[in-house]
Amino acid sequence: MTVTEAPRAADDEVVAAPSPPPAPTGLAAWVGSGDPRTIGRLFVGTSLVFLLVSGVAGALVGFEQFPSDSKTIMGADTVVRVTTLHATAGLFLGVLPLLIGLAIAVVPLQVGASTVAFPRASAAAYWTWLVSGGIVLLSYAVDGGPYGSDRTAVGMYVLGLIAVLVALVIATVSVVTTVLALRAPGMGLRRAPLFTWSMLVGGTVWILTLPVLAAMLLLTYVDLNYGQQFLGGSGGIWNHVAWAFWQPTVYVFAVPALGVIADVVPVFARRRHQRHSGAMVLLGLAAALGFGAWVQLGATVDGKTPAPWLHGGVWITVGYISVVPVLGLLGLWTATLFKGRPRLGTPLVLSLFAGLLVLAGVAGGIATVVGALDLVNTTWMTAQAEVVLIGALLAGLAGVTFWAPKLYGRLVPDWLMRLAGTLIFIGAAATAVGFGVAGFLDQARFTNGGISAVASGDVSAVEGLDLVAALGLTVVVVGALLAAVALLARGTRDPGDDPWDGHTLEWTTSSPPPIGNFASVPAITSEAPLYDSRYAPRDDATDAEGSA
Amino acid sequence: MATTQIEIFSEAPAAPPARPRVLLMGTALATAAATMVILALVALYSQMRADVIAGGKTWLPEKADLQLIPGNMGLATLVMSLVTVAWIAYSLRNDDRVHSLLAFGLSLLLGAAYINMVVFGWQQLGLGINDSPQALMIYTITGLHVAMTGVGLAFLGVMAFRALGGQLTGRAAEGMNAAVLYWYMTVGAYAVVWYAITITK
Repeated sequence: MTVTEAPRAADDEVVAAPSPPPAPTGLAAWVGSGDPRTIGRLFVGTSLVFLLVSGVAGALVGFEQFPSDSKTIMGADTVVRVTTLHATAGLFLGVLPLLIGLAIAVVPLQVGASTVAFPRASAAAYWTWLVSGGIVLLSYAVDGGPYGSDRTAVGMYVLGLIAVLVALVIATVSVVTTVLALRAPGMGLRRAPLFTWSMLVGGTVWILTLPVLAAMLLLTYVDLNYGQQFLGGSGGIWNHVAWAFWQPTVYVFAVPALGVIADVVPVFARRRHQRHSGAMVLLGLAAALGFGAWVQLGATVDGKTPAPWLHGGVWITVGYISVVPVLGLLGLWTATLFKGRPRLGTPLVLSLFAGLLVLAGVAGGIATVVGALDLVNTTWMTAQAEVVLIGALLAGLAGVTFWAPKLYGRLVPDWLMRLAGTLIFIGAAATAVGFGVAGFLDQARFTNGGISAVASGDVSAVEGLDLVAALGLTVVVVGALLAAVALLARGTRDPGDDPWDGHTLEWTTSSPPPIGNFASVPAITSEAPLYDSRYAPRDDATDAEGSA
Repeated sequence: MATTQIEIFSEAPAAPPARPRVLLMGTALATAAATMVILALVALYSQMRADVIAGGKTWLPEKADLQLIPGNMGLATLVMSLVTVAWIAYSLRNDDRVHSLLAFGLSLLLGAAYINMVVFGWQQLGLGINDSPQALMIYTITGLHVAMTGVGLAFLGVMAFRALGGQLTGRAAEGMNAAVLYWYMTVGAYAVVWYAITITK
């Protein structure tokens, strides 16, 4: 007998489809995954941990100012270093990766793609970011970071932060490419959901801005290791990083936050977004105005630190008009809510809080550019950055709550997340008032002398304001901790495919989505296809009655 | 047996639609990011130079010997490589393996020649990296561009071998187009570096 004369059963075996390999479980499922949902969840979860570190560091700095004549927790030089830790961890290890993680998980669903454009690059970006973020934190523990005295440890900070930036750029490239190249048939860019659009415009500016910061860090690293000639050694590093936290650059990090709000509001208003195209223009304007790579201190060979942009015409103009897109968007959201039948779901509550904080931060920028107020380099600017970034954090949490069925396959406990959001909002307001008013009383940024710049008669008032700000940041930390608990809590409800009556494509697939996201993607005929199928006939009837 | 095969094919899911220009889009964005790194440093270099000259001094230290020839030859070499990388993409689109290999080899040679030219320029400069801020800036910018060129050569190599191995050929030669795009931006960035450092001195 030869092989070709094998019995019938053998033929059947040949025909049968091979069984797929077993899916990895446990740690292997997380480490080896290229699934955008998994990568997004990893980004969201770990960024919350880093945010807690940042919040605790910020609160410690605030408490340390009270009383100002004795440093009870840290030494004076440590306060400066912890200030930079608060800022670095808050933005590059916290808010930015939170929004990117949300985008990696949600954007492919919103555009009808089966996955993110470069899933393996996205996974590599996450792990690079995580390890580099750990190196950045570790550098502080071994006397590194800006103003650190151990050159090797300072170098660790610089290289770690460069790697963090590279990872964030790679992840952003992945998301932006998804928007540009993987949209479903019929979904022109004008029909893209607003969160997706905000990632496109905001992410593009990130891609052009973060490399500039990386270039400055690279130069400081070379300078640090070859003579420390003109960039000021470890203390000078912060001078070349801080512009990322100043206006207008800090605004661009909040653009996707505005996109989250723009997607949440119409769903909870049960109304199509007012002037969808107008909202796109406003988001694009917000992103364009947030391109702030030109707002750098620069350097001179004689060691002086010029600031040619300070009180310059362009900087002042951008400071004034940056408020326009945010105000415009708030106007559109108000109109959407008034014309609809709003219900006060947790994502909407968090979104409204976030919108108010971002508006407050951007409006505060108007005062910053008024030369007569002399607020540049005071804690007014600290307050402004805190408010914008905590607003972006709140919007990120609103997005996580809103899209939790797609991310986690369950709903986040409503009351817990609402409590967390309320605490974060109250804490952010207290922080803004504390640091902001202290800035009016001439308190310098904590890396520039802090309370020592305050007139003697105002010292006790500023101490009190710093205490208020520190308590505010503590409340923010408690809120963020509660948000993390809410995300970890086991939801009891089966969310269903579309628990909010959503408007966009992600709500047509199951919760959580299957591998490949969609069994079939319907042709897209508007920016809110589900809204059309659910409400458009009724809206037409209402409009007809109105006409009659 | 034939019936079974028909059933298998009829039950198989439809092939996913072609992913249009994903690699090209991603490369364009990544290239923009890489270019911003170089441009940021060149902008800072130019600002520092303008400040010094405005103070009535000369920019480069006296002992610096920044020769035109290595810089000019470097630019000429890279400009020639623009033709050869376009030749690779053209040949791959037409499934012409011999010309693809020839063009790829020439591109590698020109890239290596450029790197050699930059290293020669460093040796002629007469400044150590820690001698002055000017030297530090020059070494950082040109060194970074050499690294960018190395990445470009590696990118071209990977895409060329993938194409010659049977992937991404013919009308779907998107990978090589992406590598060519990156290379063009690398050459463009060098033109800026060349003007800011070699020409203006």
